[in-house]
Amino acid sequence: MTASGRRPLLRLTGAAATIAALALSGCAGTGSSEDSDAGGSGPVETLTFWSNHPGESKPVETELLEAFEAESGIEVNLVTAGKNYEEVAQKFNAALSGGELPDVVVASDVTWFNFALNDAITPMDDLWSATDVDSEGYVDSLREDYEFEGEHFALPYARSTPLFYYNKAMWAAAGLPDRGPETWEEWAEWAPKLAATNGGVAPMVLPDGSNYLDWYFQGMVWTFGGSYSDEWDMTFTSDETIEAGTFLQDQYRQQHIAVSNDANNQFGAGQAAALLQSTGSLKGLTGAADFEIGTAFLPGPTPGCPTGGAGLAIPERISDERKEAAMELISFLTNTENTVKFSQATGYMPVQKDAVDHPDMKPFLEQNPNFRTALEQLEVTSSQDYARVLLPGGGARIGAGLDRITIGGEDVKTVFGQLDEESTQVYERDIEPKL
Amino acid sequence: MRRPAPRRRGTLLAVAFLLPNLVLLGVFTYRPLLDNIRLSFTDWNISSPTATYIGFANYVEWFTSSASHAVLWNTAVFTAAAVIGSMALGLALALLLDRPLFGRNAVRSLVFAPFVVAGAAVGVAFQFVFDPTFGLVQDLLARVGVAAPAFYQDPEWALFMVTATYVWKNLGYTFVIYLAALQGRRAELDEAAEIDAASAWTKFRRVTWPQLRPATFFLLITVLLNSFQVFDIIDTMTRGGPLGNGTTTMVYQVYQETFVNQRAGFGATVATVMFLILLVVTLLQVRVMERGQER
Repeated sequence: MTASGRRPLLRLTGAAATIAALALSGCAGTGSSEDSDAGGSGPVETLTFWSNHPGESKPVETELLEAFEAESGIEVNLVTAGKNYEEVAQKFNAALSGGELPDVVVASDVTWFNFALNDAITPMDDLWSATDVDSEGYVDSLREDYEFEGEHFALPYARSTPLFYYNKAMWAAAGLPDRGPETWEEWAEWAPKLAATNGGVAPMVLPDGSNYLDWYFQGMVWTFGGSYSDEWDMTFTSDETIEAGTFLQDQYRQQHIAVSNDANNQFGAGQAAALLQSTGSLKGLTGAADFEIGTAFLPGPTPGCPTGGAGLAIPERISDERKEAAMELISFLTNTENTVKFSQATGYMPVQKDAVDHPDMKPFLEQNPNFRTALEQLEVTSSQDYARVLLPGGGARIGAGLDRITIGGEDVKTVFGQLDEESTQVYERDIEPKL
Repeated sequence: MRRPAPRRRGTLLAVAFLLPNLVLLGVFTYRPLLDNIRLSFTDWNISSPTATYIGFANYVEWFTSSASHAVLWNTAVFTAAAVIGSMALGLALALLLDRPLFGRNAVRSLVFAPFVVAGAAVGVAFQFVFDPTFGLVQDLLARVGVAAPAFYQDPEWALFMVTATYVWKNLGYTFVIYLAALQGRRAELDEAAEIDAASAWTKFRRVTWPQLRPATFFLLITVLLNSFQVFDIIDTMTRGGPLGNGTTTMVYQVYQETFVNQRAGFGATVATVMFLILLVVTLLQVRVMERGQER
């Protein structure tokens, strides 16, 4: 081969190498990972905990882990496995394909099921018996969120609900009572007053479809009598669901509700009078805003509040000894005393029934009445619709659909019809064969 | 003991030098590439230890899906704008800073600096630049009485936003390559053009530009490959939205299908299609370059 003939080949080879590396960026092999303690049995000396530190919880997580180490003698490596639940799931998936598995992993409301369905995380019921975990002590609705075919695949940890936040000064300027709207109809009456008396700021801002609008809207759908799905039957095209979608679209068009990629900052900077946001943002928002924040239940008329957030799971493919040690760690992190500590540091819900009666809780609630709202709302929460949390990509799919009917102004029936069709297709392709 | 013949010794030496690199290339580049192509013919949930062979079903789905067509269009627009934008601006800056100006070394450093900053950091910073309520762009436009576009809600403006951000980040790279090429050009040709009283444009077009051709071809290939791979800026600024896939490019689709929709087999299909597109484009570029050199 001549020099001039080799040159293009060499260049091509170089380019192909670059491209090949790129092409593989999202794809690992299907080789299953081995037990993380291939060294065998014996007492467990160290555990690895993968977390995204939900609600800026790294300091309190570190504090709790130090207490666990002192009590059990087991060292715990706290690993920042991502900045959000999706990144933790991504890292965990990569580990399932051949990397080193953690012993405890944060699994969100939308990521745990796929792991359970594919035997990537372990059922906990037997472990509870083996390690004397009182599963009945956990708030029933939160514990049952992780139930699948009679087994539980996680325990609640950083659990949240959406909460109605409002700017008390703007409320007062509009002559509104110091409470949230009891119904969405009442909200529609209040919104023009808020806009008129507060310099045209958005009466309410919601995070957009890329930032979990599908979660906040789910409660609204329920209050209209609709849902995304009834177990595995999609119900996007029911009259009630369409009505809720149309209401959201009308409110957006009338500028009663804005949709933003940065809703927290917009509200915190006084550019919106109200906000739907997770209870996990309570501490951050309260600290950042220079006005008094009020909180309320989500508008009704019927209770419409989904649970959310994350639990703690244990990988299936680690040794039984490690599973038991991991279960002890989870039990410690979520016991009454520690869930109270975690809640007070972050704003997430305490996950134990008796946490409300804990001696540390009463003075805290007196000092933080907004947190009491979140706690009381827990009683009227429901587990989320399968179409959002159990279908792969469900949240992102519905979020994009809600962006289309608000920002995009598309016809609600058409968009929801497509959501129904796509969700059914995903169920039949990805879930039904495995059930 | 007899020594090996010089020719044989040379061959052994070459093998000794090349083998480690060839092994690394094979293990870390070509084996995963082949593995990816194999996976593209499977139905594989990323969390599952098993993958099921399904033939060309993933390819049929990708090529017939309207979402994929939108993603392909986004990729083409983003790549073309990023390549043309960063090369044109890089060349303009290089021409400007090739002159004896006060403080040019400091300016050169400033122009190059964004290139070494992590894409995710640039994405987060530019979220604030384009913020519709508090952003720099919104503030500047408000001063001249113009309302800021809905950068995060209008898919076309969102694509413009991520492209502009990428061009800003990448500008330092094209600038440095062009500057090096300008400083390596033949001074006597410039002098001859000046003696002939050529205009600035004629001098650039007839004397400078032909000498920049190798650098331009090099940049065309590398910037195109890099632009095709942009993920971090899109992930931090728009997560592929608005309206679902407003700024979703092929790389981002690989991520979404693999890690959000859990369809690693389908994600591998998108990656393979992307690989083939880049291979063809690169081959065409190399061919055009070779022809240019032959002339």
